Amino acid sequence: MSDFLNAYSIQTWLESCPQGYLEHTAFGHDPAVKEPELILDNPTMREDSIGSTVQLVVGERAALAASSGLINSAPDYASKRFLATQTLDEARHVEIFTQRLYDLGVKKDELEDVITQHANPNLVKFAEVLLEKVDKGDFVAGVVGQNIVLEGMAFSVFEMLQASNREMNPKFAQTLSGTIADERRHVGFGENRIGSLLIENPGKKPEIERMQKEMTYHMLATFSDSFADRSGMEEARRLTREAGGEAKHQVWHGTDLTSADPEQMQSVLADTVLGEFKTRLARIGLEYQAPAQP
Amino acid sequence: MSVDGIEIHARDHDGFLREVHSFEFWFQSVEGYLADHPYGVDPKAPVPDLEEPERDALIATLSTYCVGEVAALDGSSGMIGFAPNRHSKIFLATQVVDEARHLEVMLHRLSELGVEDAEAGFEARANPNLLAFRGRLMEFVEAKDWEASIFAQNVILESMEFAAFHSHMQSADPRTAEMLAGVLKDERRHMGFGENDLGRHLEQSPHARTRLREIKKELDALVLATFEDSQRALGTPASERTAVGKLYLESVARLGFAK
Repeated sequence: MSDFLNAYSIQTWLESCPQGYLEHTAFGHDPAVKEPELILDNPTMREDSIGSTVQLVVGERAALAASSGLINSAPDYASKRFLATQTLDEARHVEIFTQRLYDLGVKKDELEDVITQHANPNLVKFAEVLLEKVDKGDFVAGVVGQNIVLEGMAFSVFEMLQASNREMNPKFAQTLSGTIADERRHVGFGENRIGSLLIENPGKKPEIERMQKEMTYHMLATFSDSFADRSGMEEARRLTREAGGEAKHQVWHGTDLTSADPEQMQSVLADTVLGEFKTRLARIGLEYQAPAQP
Repeated sequence: MSVDGIEIHARDHDGFLREVHSFEFWFQSVEGYLADHPYGVDPKAPVPDLEEPERDALIATLSTYCVGEVAALDGSSGMIGFAPNRHSKIFLATQVVDEARHLEVMLHRLSELGVEDAEAGFEARANPNLLAFRGRLMEFVEAKDWEASIFAQNVILESMEFAAFHSHMQSADPRTAEMLAGVLKDERRHMGFGENDLGRHLEQSPHARTRLREIKKELDALVLATFEDSQRALGTPASERTAVGKLYLESVARLGFAK
């Protein structure tokens, strides 16, 4: 175990993250690139961008609370040290997505109101299920909820957002690149560390599977709500047509994100995340539990 | 020994908030002294050949430091959940990674000294007064008591570490001294945060000072007893043992908590 955890040391993190892929960035992107005027000058696009960025802030705030809250209950010092790096990663994500809200024109004294107004209630519930385990000091359930379920969801959402913003918004796509690299590390830790702890505590499996089922329900309900509003997507495509250009095809998991309708987008995202859940949960000895359809 | 000439913290309120509560500030701060210094030390720095009593004393001292760093790691991470605002949460997240790094560099130094499985042994060698301090700090954190937690963590514990590491640096071998110098730079940032946060809080709630004075009295006793035990174990003459305690009290006083 200790050999595997050496790969998650502070030293390795320092060299690969702040001194690696984040070097010469500010708030996760090249300081020279800005939010496109296409978004800033168009009320529909701007409001849609604010709405989706708020969900990222809500998710990252939950991840920050969970990763920091798990340190005290970690069973070994190497896990504490890894979770310390994750805590700062999540704090950075809160910071960069909050900064994006400011870049989109949200005023500092309006931030909390804007977050409250746009936060998806299902995403808030999703976070509450996780944080209840963390508050109880349940390390194994907390890491499964945080590093497999939440991070697994975030990883795919960020990948999809990055693919769909590569052409239209390089600044946001760059910001997402760093977070994707972070999430990959977090998911890897969850898989590697929890497998052995579950072998030691097989009695915990049913309770953890129930948590996964509940979190998955709220995640799917969040996706459903998010794709129900077509206005931002339709406006982006209208602007592209008006500009006389043809958007470069961005294919993600077999779906062309430049032409897919919202139902197809929701479907590919949900299928990708659930596929990842099944694979990763199986690796740690858990069976994926399908929730009711939201 | 005195802290004169050591600028612990001096920033106006707005500048403080703007500068220090961010990942960007943290990275710019640490990059200067951590770049190309794996485990906080220049890799070209020679590994000193210590005599056995000196080596044993250093192992005991670093083990005690590890306990302090675990307390700081558990304390600062536990406080994020009930920190009063986003800036404080983000600053504490930077502190969490600092404290974890301190633990890691000290464990690495222990392994350089030939200690096998350093993680397994340091708790057993821990000073009971320091363990009592950690227990008290975690009581404040578990009660989600921000005022007491930030005082115990970022004023008392950080000042204790500041005094211990600063004193130790004067006589330490070059590798240990360089490692401690990097740790001290982090501690100054943490103390600055505590000073600023509590300073603002006490302006709004001056009556809280009475409570903090009581907490300080209780914790001072544990800090000074830890120093006394450690110095005795290291063979420091009784006449010189009070120096580090004096430095601790001066540090706390500089942060505005003299009595």
